[in-house]
Amino acid sequence: MAKSEVRWIVTANFTADGAVAYRRPDGSWSRALGDAEMLAAEAEAAPLASQAAKLEQREVSDPYAIDMALGPDGLSPLTARERIRAFGPTVPIRRADGGRPSPDKLAR
Amino acid sequence: MYQYDEYDTRIITARAQQFRGQVERRLSGEITEDEFKPLRLQNGLYMQLHAYILRIAVPYGLLSSKQIRMVAHIARTYDRGYAHLTTRQNFQYNWPKLEDVPKILDCLASVEMHAVQTSGNCVRNVTADHFAGIARDELEDPRPWAEIIRQWSTFHPEFAALPRKFKIAITGSVQNDRAAVRFHDIGVRLVQNEEGEVGFEVLAGGGLGRTPLIAEVVRSFLPKAELLGYLEAIMRVYNLFGRRDNKYKARIKILVSAVGIEEFRRLVEEEYKASMTPELLLPEEEIERVRRYFAPKSYRTFGDGGEAAHKQADEKWLSFQLSTERGFGNWVKNNTVQHRVPGYVAAVISVKVPHVPPGDLTDVQLDSVAELADRFSFGEAVVTHTQNLILPDVEVAALPELYQELVRLDLAPANYGKLTDVIACPGLDYCALANARSIPIALEIVERFEQVDYLNDLGDVSIKISGCINACGHHHVGNIGILGIDKKGVEFYQLQLGGSPGNDASVGKILGPALPQDEIVSAVAKVLDKYLGLRESAEETFLEAVRRVGLDPFKEAVYGGEKAAE
Amino acid sequence: MAKEIILNRAIVSDDYQELTDDESAPSSGKVIVSFARFVKEGAELLATASAVGIRLPSDKLPSDVPLLERLSLIAIEFPRFSDGRGYSIAKLLRERFKFKGQLRAVGWVLRDNLLYMERVGFDAFELAAGKPLESGLQAFAELPIAYQATAVDRRPLYRRRL
Repeated sequence: MAKSEVRWIVTANFTADGAVAYRRPDGSWSRALGDAEMLAAEAEAAPLASQAAKLEQREVSDPYAIDMALGPDGLSPLTARERIRAFGPTVPIRRADGGRPSPDKLAR
Repeated sequence: MYQYDEYDTRIITARAQQFRGQVERRLSGEITEDEFKPLRLQNGLYMQLHAYILRIAVPYGLLSSKQIRMVAHIARTYDRGYAHLTTRQNFQYNWPKLEDVPKILDCLASVEMHAVQTSGNCVRNVTADHFAGIARDELEDPRPWAEIIRQWSTFHPEFAALPRKFKIAITGSVQNDRAAVRFHDIGVRLVQNEEGEVGFEVLAGGGLGRTPLIAEVVRSFLPKAELLGYLEAIMRVYNLFGRRDNKYKARIKILVSAVGIEEFRRLVEEEYKASMTPELLLPEEEIERVRRYFAPKSYRTFGDGGEAAHKQADEKWLSFQLSTERGFGNWVKNNTVQHRVPGYVAAVISVKVPHVPPGDLTDVQLDSVAELADRFSFGEAVVTHTQNLILPDVEVAALPELYQELVRLDLAPANYGKLTDVIACPGLDYCALANARSIPIALEIVERFEQVDYLNDLGDVSIKISGCINACGHHHVGNIGILGIDKKGVEFYQLQLGGSPGNDASVGKILGPALPQDEIVSAVAKVLDKYLGLRESAEETFLEAVRRVGLDPFKEAVYGGEKAAE
Repeated sequence: MAKEIILNRAIVSDDYQELTDDESAPSSGKVIVSFARFVKEGAELLATASAVGIRLPSDKLPSDVPLLERLSLIAIEFPRFSDGRGYSIAKLLRERFKFKGQLRAVGWVLRDNLLYMERVGFDAFELAAGKPLESGLQAFAELPIAYQATAVDRRPLYRRRL
């Protein structure tokens, strides 16, 4: 089985709504992990992060470099934290039934 | 409850406008994120893992039905249709957009609410006993004092750039502190001196987090009128001498333990003596002005209002607990609390149900709760310290009807103070500071231990879960505390036992090595089984048993290879 | 070229000259020197210059300052906008030590700090480099009323309400 390799990316949060941002090769920012520019080493990614911190303040906040696994299906996060950043909370966000009162709810 | 006068209204309206300007200057680039951060924090706006959080202030947890409806409206219009109850009696939204926040603040201002100083290195929401004003064991209602402290601390120009956050709590019950004052930066207790005068005992230096510490008494009796002057002296000593070199050593508890309580007290008393002025004394008129807002409700008098009526009301309440309708009976027994006024109880709306993160309420539920508050509780509700809601003034006779409404809303689990009344911080699912997720653990506990008879048999036991050492889930003071940690990107959980936040304050002790996510809830099950096996009687609570036998039997149960009973 | 500062809610040219520790004091005029230099040469400086001010680091207290009553200006340093010690130092200088001279906030001072700074007793402000002063002027009126005692009115709101 092919061993997955490691790539470095630059990520941040969009100032407008706090959503996760991934830096594209052209320097713009995407909400999708799949769009992230992949760099071979932290030494390449870290300067891009500091540059972004100085220049793109209005669009994104707190950029940093992070390593990801690169497999046959593309990039995947290496930590629980980056997984949740990429794919969202692992718990229900709002009750499916909206909390609407139901006459037939039984007492527990 | 307190009603804004024209001063309060003008200030809060202006504040919303001020923040609007700050957001514009952030978006235009005039101020950087670094410079904007304290401004947005002091308006309750936190940047977390994948969205902002907006934390709105609910002073000492007290809400009117009108305010609850606005919380619902904001959830519906600007967020994803729900809001979350925090462990400091506030509400928070998990998905606001930056550009919407000024509009949200305007909405809040229209119902006398705001998000001022719910984050940042300033004085935070002042919390109190969630049964304040109605508790039988109360010496005096702490809420007027909480309101007075709130106004003094809001936009205080000298203390908005403290070394770190600052939390003040006040309790009106001498024997049963339900506000955890001993774990606050400043804790205030209403007490009586030998002459029978009521005044304050002022404590400082308590806290959780990396260094859990119990507050020490700075002044054992402070006359009421001197409250604000004295608090200023403590704050000034902290502002000048608190550490600013290390974020993890910057709370006042570090200062108090570094210099020792004797020296700290000397610094405070010296500062107080030098800076106290007659203007800082609280005039009797102001105390009265604020107190009037917390005057007793127009309670109905049952019978003649005397001893016999009191007894009759209690009997009715007890008879409900024995109802053949077990669901109702259990709910009255576990979720209602005796009231100062005969014929009334406080009803706890538990927001701890299976499949829903603890403390989350949809906009629909919030609107319904507002209606229930209007119908059953003089239009008011209180946010607890345990991510639940209280309707504080419910007639005993109305309990059957209220219960039915709560069942329809799925807000009637009979688990207040029981095992499944879990407290959990947002954890890694939401929070940028977290090392591990806490909500999935809470959900697993609520789902696994749903059985009502088992919960009743276990009795009172608190589980508190934090996703990191910042301890927003208050795990240090849980009878069972769970702390999420990060081991090379994988989530692990540490178990501690024996914590308590009240008069018998204690910090829980770690049981053993951290456990993986798929073992932690089984470990809790083993601990509970052990308790049931070794308790002296059904009356000995979990906490009492732990204190009696120590950790070893539980350590053995979890790490010694025993299997949990079915 | 004199720099511009905000003084009493107006943009003015700074009529103080800031001296390094090596620069000799002019025979007249208003000067600001470092706290360390004033501790060593305070008396001489007061004899030559027409007005003497000091830059006070935020880890010092008013009681550390010699000849306080003869200073015309104290510039309290804010090494970072989040270092709030200067607010208490200013409050103490005005109230406890009855300092009547110019109290200036210097260092990493942002427009959004000015309102609170004025309330604790500052009357002059040097904004951080690159920050527009006109924007700063608008900060003072953003919150119309204070709950607390301020430098302008020593009565907390609960005394003004009466």
